[in-house]
Amino acid sequence: MSKPESNTPSKLTKKDVTKAAFRYMLMACNIFNYESQQGPAVVYSLEKALRKIYPNDEDYQKSLENHFRYFNTTTAMGNIILGAALAMEEKDGINSLDAVQNFKTGMMGPLAGIGDTLIWVLYPTIMGSIAAYMGLQGNPIGAIIWFILNIAFLFVRFKLFDLGYTSGLKMITALGDKLSVFTEAASIMGLTVVGALIPSVIRMTVGLEFTMGEVALNIQTGVLDQIMPALLPALLTFAVYKVLASRKMSVIQVIFAIIILALVCSFFGILVV
Amino acid sequence: MEIIQAILIIALACWMVMDQQGLVLMTWFPIMISVPAGIIMGDLTTALMIGGTFQLMNLGVANIGGSSVPNWGLAALVGIYVAVRTTGDIEQAKAVALAVGVPVGMLGIQLDVLAKLLNTYVGNAAKKALDQFNLKKMNRIFWLGPVIFMLSTAVPTALCIIFGEQIVNFILSAVPEWFTNGLSIAGNMLPVVGIALLLQVMPAKKYLSMLLAGFVFSAYLNVPMLGVSIIGLALAYYFFTTNMKKAPAAAAETGTVIIEEGDEWDE
Repeated sequence: MSKPESNTPSKLTKKDVTKAAFRYMLMACNIFNYESQQGPAVVYSLEKALRKIYPNDEDYQKSLENHFRYFNTTTAMGNIILGAALAMEEKDGINSLDAVQNFKTGMMGPLAGIGDTLIWVLYPTIMGSIAAYMGLQGNPIGAIIWFILNIAFLFVRFKLFDLGYTSGLKMITALGDKLSVFTEAASIMGLTVVGALIPSVIRMTVGLEFTMGEVALNIQTGVLDQIMPALLPALLTFAVYKVLASRKMSVIQVIFAIIILALVCSFFGILVV
Repeated sequence: MEIIQAILIIALACWMVMDQQGLVLMTWFPIMISVPAGIIMGDLTTALMIGGTFQLMNLGVANIGGSSVPNWGLAALVGIYVAVRTTGDIEQAKAVALAVGVPVGMLGIQLDVLAKLLNTYVGNAAKKALDQFNLKKMNRIFWLGPVIFMLSTAVPTALCIIFGEQIVNFILSAVPEWFTNGLSIAGNMLPVVGIALLLQVMPAKKYLSMLLAGFVFSAYLNVPMLGVSIIGLALAYYFFTTNMKKAPAAAAETGTVIIEEGDEWDE
């Protein structure tokens, strides 16, 4: 493994870096707390690699204490940051601690901004919509595809740690520019899928009938479906969207309101299964 | 057999939180939970129906930045267990899963907050061990973190396994039909919550045309979801390639690289 900026011989092998990446991904948010958030997990992740960088106990302790401080970002993005931080400490040793801390806190916000939307909103939206739609038809293929993609993505995350370690800062700025265009593109795909979800997964069937003399007119098939397919789901989506946007009701209140509405409509036979 | 199933379901409850917060392979998204849960319970179809319903409620929900959200994965897991145990009818299974799952999922918020509070002590204890330079002790303390998170899902799951069946059987025999029907109807309506929540966090106004296109393809033309995804991918690909061509030109003009943080998303 060659690093262009380093003139001292590498203290870490490729295996050490991979191991640090694995330890971070395993622990990530599993010691998450309100004080230092991912701090302890970062210590868990880097402690073996840092031991090789600092044979001296005192320096080692100082470095670990530094990593105990507040850290929180999307874990995939954290891989890049921690990889780069590890390279900084390997190069400049104990003198780099302040720079490492500044680098970590400076990068975690912007990267989480992109990473959280991409990884925790858009990706589960697209995969979740497809998998849930198939699941409702009793088909597990969507969920299995999602699982396989996650395995593939794990390898990408190993690679991100490695990239952070080898090219550090430069890569982050270059990637950030591409990522914002990519995020926009992903939300275009996401919204197309969401648009299709409204008529296909929200189901409301009116059970009422209009009787005029001999003729019975079913409200659902005879009236509503003639105006527009999935009219009620579309209206319900718009109403819930407006309620949530106004922030007058919390999500939990909305959920209970819908359950109560469904129970009332069921009692009077307005809606049927 | 029933005991083995119960143990496997509790083990799944432990693993899902550890995985979600770490390796992110299986995750605790409801539809992902429903596959192993369905295999354990021997009724994959019912499990997938329940998982799919909770997944759609879950769409716009992400616990990012340390926020706590209802744990719909846990809701799906206990819902699947109790529903498969108590009923063979799919619509009724959905109603049962909803009746058991929603309160447990809500409880997930409090349990998540509690786990993160307790982990504040874990973090401090680990730091104290480092001050004494007792690294072995520090590493042992670290593992309390995942254990606490595992308990936060395993304990409610175990309680539902022990008591859920009797309570649900009692309720099913005691409550009138319109009530269970009402819960099934609610199950069919609740995906709207996830969708509406998602529209808040995504640039829905900016790309309203995509939303409408997706609606028309599905509602009028009955294109399946995968087909609509491909249409979405086509639009996204076009946007990406045209904008990537523009990007280097703009960067060359100003001479700097600007990282956009997506402020327009908050509109």
